[in-house]
Amino acid sequence: MTELRKSFHTELAEVHAELMRVGAQVIEAIPRATRILLDMDLEGADYMVQGDDEIDARCIAVEEHCYRILALQAPVASDLRAVITALKMTAELERSGDLTVNICKAARRIYGHEMNPKLRGIIAKMSEQAQQLFANAMEAYDESDPAKAAALDDMDNFLDALQRQFIQVIFESHAAGSIDLQVAVQLGVVARFYERIGDHAVNIGEKVRFLVSGWMPEHVGAVRHRMRQEATPMAGIPIPTQADRNHDS
Amino acid sequence: MPVVYLIVGLAVGLLVSWVACRHRSSFIPVAGQAPVPVSAPAEVIEQRDVPEVAPLSVVLDALPIGVVYADQNGLVVVRNRMATHAAGARHGDIIVNEALEGLLRTALQGEERRQTLDLFGPPARVLLVHAQPAEAGGAIATISDITERARLDAVRTDFVANISHELKTPVGALSLLAEALADSDDPDVVTRLSGKIVKEAERLTLAIEDLLELSRIELGGDSNRQEVAAVRILEDAADRVRGLAERRHIRLEIQDNGPTLAVVGDRRQLVSAIGNLVDNAVKYSEMDSIVRLGVRLDGDRVTFSVSDSGMGIASQHLDRIFERFYRVDRARSRDTGGVGLGLAIVRHVAANHGGEVKVTSQEGEGSTFMLSIPASPASVAASQADNPILAAG
Repeated sequence: MTELRKSFHTELAEVHAELMRVGAQVIEAIPRATRILLDMDLEGADYMVQGDDEIDARCIAVEEHCYRILALQAPVASDLRAVITALKMTAELERSGDLTVNICKAARRIYGHEMNPKLRGIIAKMSEQAQQLFANAMEAYDESDPAKAAALDDMDNFLDALQRQFIQVIFESHAAGSIDLQVAVQLGVVARFYERIGDHAVNIGEKVRFLVSGWMPEHVGAVRHRMRQEATPMAGIPIPTQADRNHDS
Repeated sequence: MPVVYLIVGLAVGLLVSWVACRHRSSFIPVAGQAPVPVSAPAEVIEQRDVPEVAPLSVVLDALPIGVVYADQNGLVVVRNRMATHAAGARHGDIIVNEALEGLLRTALQGEERRQTLDLFGPPARVLLVHAQPAEAGGAIATISDITERARLDAVRTDFVANISHELKTPVGALSLLAEALADSDDPDVVTRLSGKIVKEAERLTLAIEDLLELSRIELGGDSNRQEVAAVRILEDAADRVRGLAERRHIRLEIQDNGPTLAVVGDRRQLVSAIGNLVDNAVKYSEMDSIVRLGVRLDGDRVTFSVSDSGMGIASQHLDRIFERFYRVDRARSRDTGGVGLGLAIVRHVAANHGGEVKVTSQEGEGSTFMLSIPASPASVAASQADNPILAAG
């Protein structure tokens, strides 16, 4: 292996390590944001909003690093997939960081309103589940483990179920008069934030599967599309198939 | 064939005698040296053949703090186990490692620095990372787990704030009410104010009674130990709260399962402890719900449990609710009454009886408190007799 190639793999390892570090920050930010929301800690919310700038800056740095690798090293095969995966993951991490900030901003908007224990309990559960999903996604990436990555989908179903349950409790609480409409709407949006964090974790899992095998979830839809295209090459005018011809004769 | 046996036998014999010789050489004094008694402890400790690197890493790994040493070139050459797993979670360890690298870099430039990491986990940990230049060159960093210290600091500061809240608020109210009373001639106002004064005075009396009870239990002096049937404790505790439960339409359900269990303890203290748990369960439950009281034998311990399906307790409060005067929601504490000593009393009663109290809870779904203390020897024997396997053993 030439010296040039060796430094290339060191660079890939650096990108991987930096993504793991940013991922660790996001995993830590999820319960922190939840505590800020439940305690209505405005000072903590400001702190988190500022902290997100760091995640953004680091994601941009990783992205630029990836462009540099692509331009200067022209990687192929699994190396190319590693760089592309890293590029796509920066977007997922950056967006997830933003979502934790959005949770903190929601604390500002519902400040002064009380939430009943049922609502608080489900928020805590959604937070735990979203954090667990994200931690598993980053582990799958760290170990390049497609099985762990594929399992994320099932975990996400549980988070989705929690979100639906939460929306139901919001309706009930509003009907019982324990929260007003403004808070109800804000909490509905908060539920969406957690659910989206889970979706980003699932996306990371899909990137890991692409990294290992080149598989993308869009392939399923793409195959369907291609089959439809082959069946009808000229839009709207079906070409008689062999079976049709046999039927006619 | 016999030749092969002979050769193998010879080889094994030689090996055994060689090993025996080597062993003997390190214990038996060689002629010409001063004779040393074989049993002398100094000789045993001072074994020079032992390689030094392996035990050092064993020693380092046993340390309760993380130690990392980087040489002049910034290469980490020593790192013990605690330094790798200080956070107890994978993502936490990554965060610790990043902080560690940053501090080591500044330490290599000759600057000593420390950083506190407040990690949410799970597990939640507070870690202090400290790096300084090493005398022999390079830099050395330590990672200490200060979670417990941080918790105790919080306990101390909260204690002062809470006790002043619980004791000063009624006193402040009393003096304000008395002033208003002195200025008023209107008989209606006088009646209303004096009624409030009585209420505040009652509250203060209650607080002082609880405090006295707690200190009495803490001292553990006048405890009156006797064998008490476990289910009687539950019944007496339930009776104390029945009035409140009926007002709130809450059913108290006592689950009495199978053999009569008994404990040896101070009946008054135990009833007071379980009574406090039931009282809380009723206060923090919704109207028209059920509070379940149970008792069961776990090995040689009797576990009393009190479960409700009320508002529950958020996880960050769970390990603090047994502190004196601790309140999950201070704003609402006056609605529910009490001064925040109930669970502290429960914990001390458990400790007095050589037991412990535990809680599991989910906010919005309810809580279960479990108090377990040693069972009376008779109950353990009876339960073993019931169980043919144990009885045979």
